[in-house]
Amino acid sequence: MKKLQSELLIAKHLRQSVFKNKAIFIITLFIGILLLYAIFSGWENFKNQNETSEKYQHESREDWLKNPDKNPHRMAHYGNFAFRKSTSLSVFEFGMEPFFGNAIFLEAHKQNTANFSEAGFSNSMLRFGEISIAMVLQVLLPLLIFFIGFNSIAYERENGTLKILLTQGVNWKQLLIGKALGIASVIMMLFIPTLIILVLVWLFLQNFTITADETIKMLLFIVFHLAYLLFFCVIAVLISAISKTSKKALITLIGIWLVFTIILPRTTQAIGGYIFEAPSKIQFNSAVEKDILKQGDSHNPNDPHYKAIKDSLLRAYKVDSVQKLPFNYSGFVMTEGEKISSRIYNEHLAELLQVYKKQNSFSKAVSFLNPYIAMKNLSMGLSNTDYESYIDFQKQAEEYRYKMAQKMNALQIKYISNKKPSAGEKPYSISKEHWADLEDFHYEAKPIAIVLKNEIISIISIILWITLLFILIRIAAQKLKAI
Amino acid sequence: MLSLIFKNFIRSKGTKIGLFFLFCIGFISLLIGKQFQDKQQNNILEATVYQKESLARNAEFHKDEIGLLLYYAKFSLVNKTLPINSLAIGQRDVNPSIQSVNIRGLEAQKYDAELNNANNLLAGNMDLSFVLIYLFPLLIIAFSYNLISEEKESGTWKIVATQSQNTFIYIIKLFYIRILSLIALLSILLFASVLFLSVPLDLSFFTFYGLGILYILFWFAVCFFIVSLQKHSNFNAVILLTIWLFLIIIVPAGINAYIVNKYQIPEALELTLKQRNAYHEKWDTDKNETMEKFYKHYPQFREYKIPADKEFTWLWYYAMQQLGDDESAVQSSELETKLQQRNLASQSIAQFIPTLHTQLQLNEIAHADLGNQLLFLKETTRFHERLRLHFYPKIFTDAAVKDQKWENFKVETFNDPTSIRFANAFLPLVIFNVLLIVLGWFNFRRNVI
Repeated sequence: MKKLQSELLIAKHLRQSVFKNKAIFIITLFIGILLLYAIFSGWENFKNQNETSEKYQHESREDWLKNPDKNPHRMAHYGNFAFRKSTSLSVFEFGMEPFFGNAIFLEAHKQNTANFSEAGFSNSMLRFGEISIAMVLQVLLPLLIFFIGFNSIAYERENGTLKILLTQGVNWKQLLIGKALGIASVIMMLFIPTLIILVLVWLFLQNFTITADETIKMLLFIVFHLAYLLFFCVIAVLISAISKTSKKALITLIGIWLVFTIILPRTTQAIGGYIFEAPSKIQFNSAVEKDILKQGDSHNPNDPHYKAIKDSLLRAYKVDSVQKLPFNYSGFVMTEGEKISSRIYNEHLAELLQVYKKQNSFSKAVSFLNPYIAMKNLSMGLSNTDYESYIDFQKQAEEYRYKMAQKMNALQIKYISNKKPSAGEKPYSISKEHWADLEDFHYEAKPIAIVLKNEIISIISIILWITLLFILIRIAAQKLKAI
Repeated sequence: MLSLIFKNFIRSKGTKIGLFFLFCIGFISLLIGKQFQDKQQNNILEATVYQKESLARNAEFHKDEIGLLLYYAKFSLVNKTLPINSLAIGQRDVNPSIQSVNIRGLEAQKYDAELNNANNLLAGNMDLSFVLIYLFPLLIIAFSYNLISEEKESGTWKIVATQSQNTFIYIIKLFYIRILSLIALLSILLFASVLFLSVPLDLSFFTFYGLGILYILFWFAVCFFIVSLQKHSNFNAVILLTIWLFLIIIVPAGINAYIVNKYQIPEALELTLKQRNAYHEKWDTDKNETMEKFYKHYPQFREYKIPADKEFTWLWYYAMQQLGDDESAVQSSELETKLQQRNLASQSIAQFIPTLHTQLQLNEIAHADLGNQLLFLKETTRFHERLRLHFYPKIFTDAAVKDQKWENFKVETFNDPTSIRFANAFLPLVIFNVLLIVLGWFNFRRNVI
């Protein structure tokens, strides 16, 4: 403990003098209020999102079960819905949520888009950003740290007090660490209360029954944000130490902040989007349709692919017409059609996602240069509001759709007669009890292991940055001069 | 005097780097705009080809059954993209600019989303409006935060003050040079857009230009006011950046949260569920009841009856589809009202926030705002209705497929008729500018410089 005494003394001194600057006091107070607001609005958002999504998921399920006896293919067209649900950490990190579609209609033969995103229903206001805990922690607090830290050493140099400090037996390393700790202690006055509320809200939202998976995510969320903030404290002190005047330090720090949080994220993504152009919906759909037609059109009676299937079936069962087959022939054809169209759709989708991945790879790579992007990606991953989560949701929905369509086809093959009902006869139907055989759609968020695997670049980047800072402190401690 | 001030300004390394950097980003934004424009045009072309091909193919496959053909046939409506849209992409990336619909239930098709990489949407477009609204102010702040204060801190101000007759005029000149340089930069970028993006020199363009100039002036007015307080350079820098942060991120985000919470839209999900049930339940309910409701909507089709001996007819099928829309009409119009309210609320609040106001106005000029999207949705409804009214009698009489002129069904285009409201566009910015300049001038008068 004795070793750190001078550092702690310097830190204490900085903390006590910070709020003598009225502007800093007001900004800090304001950020505190903003944090409270962010918690409140995050909570509100989360509640609305999940209540609506649960309500309609439930309603849609009830509607499905309420259907009377009918032909299973009608049910396949009746379809189901997948409504998106949020995980509890998304209270603090909205990530891309406003841009995600909230509902996908799942029906036979057709992959629908995820519709009704918040962004589609908003004026461009949303594009300016959102106030969430994560935004305050990742964007505003670093700026506050810079505002507090820019004159931590530069000002002492301007005043001449730096020389006095150094002649009194304090060495550079102690000074740098002490100042950084001082700034950190001011920031902790905001960060620690936020954490306490955060954990309480998080516990409350899950009714105090937490899973190991969620707990690890929460802990990582806290630890990485803490490291991220400390990182900026050190940067502020280092820049202040190498700058001749406090004005130069301030301008440099503001520059760094702007490049990290405003300019780089947008430009890198824009460049990624520019270089790797993605097809539009109309191109995508017509490409899928063309490939399906190439494979065979189940609606065309003379299609060679389906004719071959028919002939082989007739041969195998030794009958001369499809009506004499022991199972429902059109159900069989639809099963085949669904299989082919889903496969082709998924192939095209994989291609499209590959393009998106390339677009994103640009900004992902830049996270090595920019700790903000690394932190942002990691926290979105942990709160299940990142790109991968959305793709995952759509994949789960598509799997469910396929299962539903094929289940209904199987019911048709098994229970529906092959002969067409004669005029005046009621159309064939099966008992409504079968509808319950298909379980409800249930979305499962990615487990922590997958999140960490997806975000490995971000984690490495943050760790590298922290290592770099330690090295820089060492170098600076040896090279810095008092004047 | 003025030329000396200019030389002094332009010789500084920071100035050159700043202007050059902004020019480069501005130029990149034009490239992005160009790509967006090409993509939009390509899509329209694609839609035209697709519609022609698929209509021909369907007419070939389903020669004997026009009802079945129209089950598949899709018709496209394009929301016209103005060339100036590439300078302010607005909401056109989120919302599809082409609607392709079949004549079945509309509500199930109307809100289909565009395919998008959510990462791109989150980061936002780097179009010229972004450069203007986000980045120009930063350079303006960098150019002006230390005017006077720097000279005072370095001790040269006394020399300036004794050498010029009127220090206030001197300050105005300092600002004048900086304003000119940034307006020149904006002009170059806009002129380049005329050349490379073939943006026509019309009213929209000049309104865009005017808004850009007023917006630049607004930020200079803010700086002028802060400089007039005559504080330390560091204080100026911190306070100006804080103002920027407020106007660019915090206030718009706060207002957005307010609007989203005030006008929540559960109607959207309600609508899809309702529409699905309304249509599907008709398969299991009394056919005559269904038909009666259909005839009530379209008395002109009462003459077409469903034959008693047939289980399935297209007349019945399309009546069922029609009722899916009819019975969810309440939810549909509620959704529309809510969106309309959101649009109005954001526009009226934006008048008091210059950044937000400028962004919304630029998007409005470029026909890329929520208002345009709502009009497009309305037009989609009308377009769909026209198709229905045209094809219904043909289906009900089982008209011959080959007699229809399928090649006449071209992709249609919707022109947003909204005209520019100058007072709305310019007045809020003018008022803010005048207010700030008067206050700043007052400060300079009160405090001896």
